[in-house]
Amino acid sequence: MTAIEVRDLSRSFGANVALEGLTFDLRAGEVLALLGPNGAGKTTTVRLLNGVLAPDRGEARVLGIDPARDGDALRRHTGVLTENAGLDDRLTARENLEFVAKVRGLRGAGGARRIDELLGRFGMTDRADDKVQGFSTGQRKRLALARALLHDPEVLFLDEPTSGLDPAATRDVIELIGSLATERGRTVVLCTHFLGEAGRLAHRMAVLHHGRLHAFGRPDELAAQLWDGLDADLDLGVAADERIRSLVEQVDGVSMATATPEGLRVRVHDRDAMARVVALLVGREVPVYGAIPRVPTLEDVYFAIEARVGSQPPPAPEARLDG
Amino acid sequence: MAEDRARQPIDWSAVRAVIGKDVDAVRRSKAIVLPMLIVPFLLLVVLPLVIGIAARSQSSIDVSKFLSNIPGDLARPILRLPVRQQLVVLVNGYLLAPLFLIVPLMVSAVLAADAFAGEKERKTLETLLHLPLSERDLFIAKLLAAFVPAVVLSWVGFVCFAVVTNTVAWPVMHRIFVPTRLWLVMIFWVAPAVAALGLGVMVRVSARARTTQEANQLGGAVILPLIFLAVGQSAGLLLVSVQIALAIGLVLWVIALALCARGAHRFTRDQLAARL
Repeated sequence: MTAIEVRDLSRSFGANVALEGLTFDLRAGEVLALLGPNGAGKTTTVRLLNGVLAPDRGEARVLGIDPARDGDALRRHTGVLTENAGLDDRLTARENLEFVAKVRGLRGAGGARRIDELLGRFGMTDRADDKVQGFSTGQRKRLALARALLHDPEVLFLDEPTSGLDPAATRDVIELIGSLATERGRTVVLCTHFLGEAGRLAHRMAVLHHGRLHAFGRPDELAAQLWDGLDADLDLGVAADERIRSLVEQVDGVSMATATPEGLRVRVHDRDAMARVVALLVGREVPVYGAIPRVPTLEDVYFAIEARVGSQPPPAPEARLDG
Repeated sequence: MAEDRARQPIDWSAVRAVIGKDVDAVRRSKAIVLPMLIVPFLLLVVLPLVIGIAARSQSSIDVSKFLSNIPGDLARPILRLPVRQQLVVLVNGYLLAPLFLIVPLMVSAVLAADAFAGEKERKTLETLLHLPLSERDLFIAKLLAAFVPAVVLSWVGFVCFAVVTNTVAWPVMHRIFVPTRLWLVMIFWVAPAVAALGLGVMVRVSARARTTQEANQLGGAVILPLIFLAVGQSAGLLLVSVQIALAIGLVLWVIALALCARGAHRFTRDQLAARL
């Protein structure tokens, strides 16, 4: 089932084009990483999809509802974490949640239970009756996340959900978002600059630049479009010498071979070419201790697209510890 | 988005939630609460108290010379009173009346600046815009969050004023002389209109201002002349009949409602979000 459908969505502010011709579909239960530099149009996209801004052109359907025509109905089913937590400093943590619970129709004992549950879930029970004024960035972020989840929304728009959080809280939030999507079937639109977290969560990624969508799809699909072939690191125990490197490069189906401290990095068109490379090396009595395919990470894909947007050739994927 | 407004009934529980939140938050802000209490206290308690005490003194101030310089319609009923009663009736019964209008005007303007521009300043406006609350309901909630406390505070202030004035002047007056019928028109008709006027101005100003301070400064530039105008108008109010006072109140209401209606027309999510 499609949760979000966007067709030619466009919005300008005066002469400034914030979003131009955005088109994509997102299925229910998927996490979309909305990526791009500051000013790319990510926040405008979220505001348009939640009916806070009206489009100049194009249309969107979120859960089958047109945000521009029936925004209030849609917002009953969506939860939003804005980049700034947007909490009233003069109220306590609990009062901030109570206010939103009342507006969303969560009243009485049920509402109070849900608030207690979320305060506990985000480790805020001991600060529940303290004014938000003295809270750290991380505490504000956790409270704002709790507020976004109060009514168990079907679609979540999360703008930088982990910025300001410590490593343990970051891991907790990432796991929570992941479980909301995979176990509860919630659809998540995640705006983030943390590509590692996006890589761990996102089923699809969208790269925006100056209001235009430059790439949309699964990270592996986009990688296949960007890089013709499969990269692998061959562990030879020592760096390959020039003779071996040039021999490998001449194998049918190999487009590139580069010496590395542990052996050789090769780019092949298909798995059979990799088999031929290994056979050649073994035949020449060069020990092959391992062949490790290098799958491009979301971060590799993002920077390659960014480079392409800037009219530069896409760089080869770099190894990432978090990939 | 505009279609939402006309189609749906007002969600009063959500409106009450916004009002409750705003009032709670304001109650905890000393910077807002103190001026809202001190000014009415000085105008409506301290001043009548001082005047009453002065009138009770043996060497009562003779105001007949002053009264001879003001229009006959106003002066005549006061001049008919014993000399000791003239000061307290002139000041507490007439001259303080226009100053009283400062209370609803000031309170509604301060609260409206906090309710509208304050949300931008605290960066809480976007959160509000992402809630399932129609623009109309949000606007109504914000208006009422400023209007109701302004009117209530004015009425409470007037009750204090009436009690203090009549009590302190009792040894001189030997009767309850406040409120008069014109005072009642002021309290129940003109004062709410003035509160709405302050609100209407601040709604318009807050749409452009990014902070409460900026809204107060811009609003002050508009509201201060209005205060002086109100003072002049209402000094005249007590000279005229109840019917004319009602008419003046009506004019203020029309201006205030026109300002609020225009503010409502521009109070759209899109326009608010575009300025974030």
